[in-house]
Amino acid sequence: MKHAILGAALLAAYVGVPLLFGGTPYVMGLIVAALTIAGVALAWALLGNLGGMVSFGHAAFFGVGSYTSAVLSMKLGVPVFAALLLGGLGAAVASVAMLPALRLRGPYFALAILAYAHIFQILATEMTPITGGAGGLLSIPRFPTLFGLEFGGKTGGYVIILTIILLSAFVYDAVRRSAWGLALKAMHDTEIATRVIGVPSTHLKAAMLALSAFITGVVGAFNAHFISFLEPDYAFSSTWTVLPIAAAIFGGYRTVWGPVVGALAIYLLDQLVFKPILPHGHQMVLGVLLCAMILLSPGGLLPVLLRRRRSEGGRHAHA
Amino acid sequence: MIELTLQALFSGLLAGGYYATVAVGLALVFGAMRVINLAHGELVLLAAYIAYAAESRYGINPVMAIPIALVVVASASAIVYALLSRIEQDREINSLILTFGIGIIMTNGILTIWAADIHSTTNPWFQDSLVIADTLFAMNAEVAFFVGGLALMAGVYWWLNHSWQGRAVRALTSNRNAAMLMGVNPRQTEILSFMIAALLATFAGVAIYTGKTVFPSLGHVLTVKAFIITVLAGMGSIHGVLIGAIMIGVIESLTVTYLSASLQELAGMLLFLVVLFVSPSGLFGGRRALAR
Amino acid sequence: MLTLEGVHVNFGGVQALKSASFAVAEGESIGLVGPNGAGKTTLFNVISGVVRPSGGRLDFRGQSLLKLPEWKRARLGIGRSFQIPRPLGHCTVRENLIVAQRFGARTNDPQRIDEILDILNLRDKADSDAATELALTEHKALEVGKALATNPSLLLLDEVLAGLETTSKRAFMERLGAVRDRYKLAMVIIEHDIPTIAALCPRVLVLNFGQIIADGAPDAVFRDPEVIRSYTGETTL
Repeated sequence: MKHAILGAALLAAYVGVPLLFGGTPYVMGLIVAALTIAGVALAWALLGNLGGMVSFGHAAFFGVGSYTSAVLSMKLGVPVFAALLLGGLGAAVASVAMLPALRLRGPYFALAILAYAHIFQILATEMTPITGGAGGLLSIPRFPTLFGLEFGGKTGGYVIILTIILLSAFVYDAVRRSAWGLALKAMHDTEIATRVIGVPSTHLKAAMLALSAFITGVVGAFNAHFISFLEPDYAFSSTWTVLPIAAAIFGGYRTVWGPVVGALAIYLLDQLVFKPILPHGHQMVLGVLLCAMILLSPGGLLPVLLRRRRSEGGRHAHA
Repeated sequence: MIELTLQALFSGLLAGGYYATVAVGLALVFGAMRVINLAHGELVLLAAYIAYAAESRYGINPVMAIPIALVVVASASAIVYALLSRIEQDREINSLILTFGIGIIMTNGILTIWAADIHSTTNPWFQDSLVIADTLFAMNAEVAFFVGGLALMAGVYWWLNHSWQGRAVRALTSNRNAAMLMGVNPRQTEILSFMIAALLATFAGVAIYTGKTVFPSLGHVLTVKAFIITVLAGMGSIHGVLIGAIMIGVIESLTVTYLSASLQELAGMLLFLVVLFVSPSGLFGGRRALAR
Repeated sequence: MLTLEGVHVNFGGVQALKSASFAVAEGESIGLVGPNGAGKTTLFNVISGVVRPSGGRLDFRGQSLLKLPEWKRARLGIGRSFQIPRPLGHCTVRENLIVAQRFGARTNDPQRIDEILDILNLRDKADSDAATELALTEHKALEVGKALATNPSLLLLDEVLAGLETTSKRAFMERLGAVRDRYKLAMVIIEHDIPTIAALCPRVLVLNFGQIIADGAPDAVFRDPEVIRSYTGETTL
């Protein structure tokens, strides 16, 4: 039964959506943007849940991934799809620079990452010969046509980002269910107890940071090739931090799909409803949503919906 | 060459004064509630914009606007406190996200009401230059608010060390449970620290409005800077915050003078990271930044 | 197997351990007693790597442990249980053991996990939430179980019997004996219950104010006036 639902969902996503919206580039563009946010939201939630770290600077990974991929494809002629992966790798390498921050407690870590984000942004602005400086990079190569499928357009982009998210969710879930996932969960409460039974806790946390960075980097790289334009203020904008956090919290950051659902909901709401009403301050509603969620339902929306369907009994999903 | 350096140092010193006023408020609340108010910078911004509204609409001198701004900022702080106290689980992280959200609301609220333009005081006295010892330049506003800020911080320092309420705040900061067992009312003390922070924020806001320029995204910038300074100094040390703020101010000033204006932020950030990793407890504080 | 020489630990101004020196042979069982605050847990923390000593030598099978983090020591064969049980949260009892085995023993051996569950009488609770659904005895048993699952050669047990009432204690004691015999481990056990220790361990170390004041067979040690004085202030009972 479960497989049937899964199959239907995949069909709907890969075939249904393009059929329905492929003709309206504006809507398609919105969906792609929403999924881009969803990708970062998923990576952010992964770091929080598995790594136990809340980051306020995911824009750093997004930006580094964007620039790495763009520069490699423009200056070194690396094929776009390969550049995507290298963009993710670049972000993961950047996370290595953040390793010393791992021993910091919650708020300090969150803000240390923020400091890194600022630093990377400034570096991108200053390293003009490589990054095009404040003016940015124009005409970044778009996705090519492969196997007769045109990936450069809006629908093509949609398929790519959808695949990125599905793969990321798959990896996230796989780690969660493994012994690694168990150890990571346990580390939140009592790191010493895990170390004493042989868990290299710091290495595991570093791995989660690198994974989260990788995913975010790939998403950033995707975005760069999708809109074919990049600029430091844009690539490292706090929007790439704020929206994913709001999305993850709204959708339920303790679940794998919550952030994705939250991103779709929040972004589409923001663009279609709030922006027309408050052209300047529409992000304010995000702030309100964030606060409301924290105060009323810290677990987010998705768990509330799921709980109404499933009856409570025995061990339930990690509260 | 020497003149240039001296001027840079002097300007940095004055800038440090502003930063310190903002940072002390943040540190105070953190000490009393173990909560980092990520909306603190926006409170400063609010005060600045109130001063702007008072001056542009009614021609009120910014200094006179301080009491009005104080009322507004204090009320806003009270609301933030009320919301914070409703958090039950995972206090540290949830309050971080909550104040983050409040900050977004405030920044965007200001954006909606006053648009994204840059503002500064139109009253000429504030921006008139003052010359000290024939070589050092500053604006009247900068010096006035630096001195005022120092006086205010000295007052807070005295209050923390010599008044009953101040001691209660220090007790709560160092050992919450023990303090409560000895009769310190945490709620009262927390609200009080929020109000003192509001006072400092108001002063800083008006200072920035008169001496520099204000724009909506400044709130976020200030919060980050204040946090960096508090970490630099080590939580729980007011004189540490002052010194840390001046360090940041001076480094930024020297960077602008000798390197480039766009690298200004970079210098501060790098300093922050270096101190964070070399001495996570800050230059003056106790070991609180590290994971268990 | 394990050698300490001149290990001392300073916490701020307090000397928790003063020049501790002793050795543990393979398969040996040693009891560690002493008044509260004597430094027993600190000693365990030093050996397992939770605390870095301020000086001295610490060798395990010819290798210095001083630079190794806790998890590497666990993989070398040092297992440790905590006085206040620290189960791995949001996991079942079985999952606790699985994590310990995967990371500490670097193997996947479900049979051995079942064995451990049986020896410690935890079979019934194998699928219960380790943090919220166990009684005190079971918590203590799980502490031992986690350490066991890492395939240790040396087991450090910190007040595993504390808080249990007499019948449970006796039963637990038997289980510990069975564990020792089955797995041929060296054990160092911190306990306050002197008859129990005397029954289980042919050798006892007494710690007082961070110093080892006695080291020998239980009979001799517990008649030592120095030892008696450390507990009661008198030189004879």
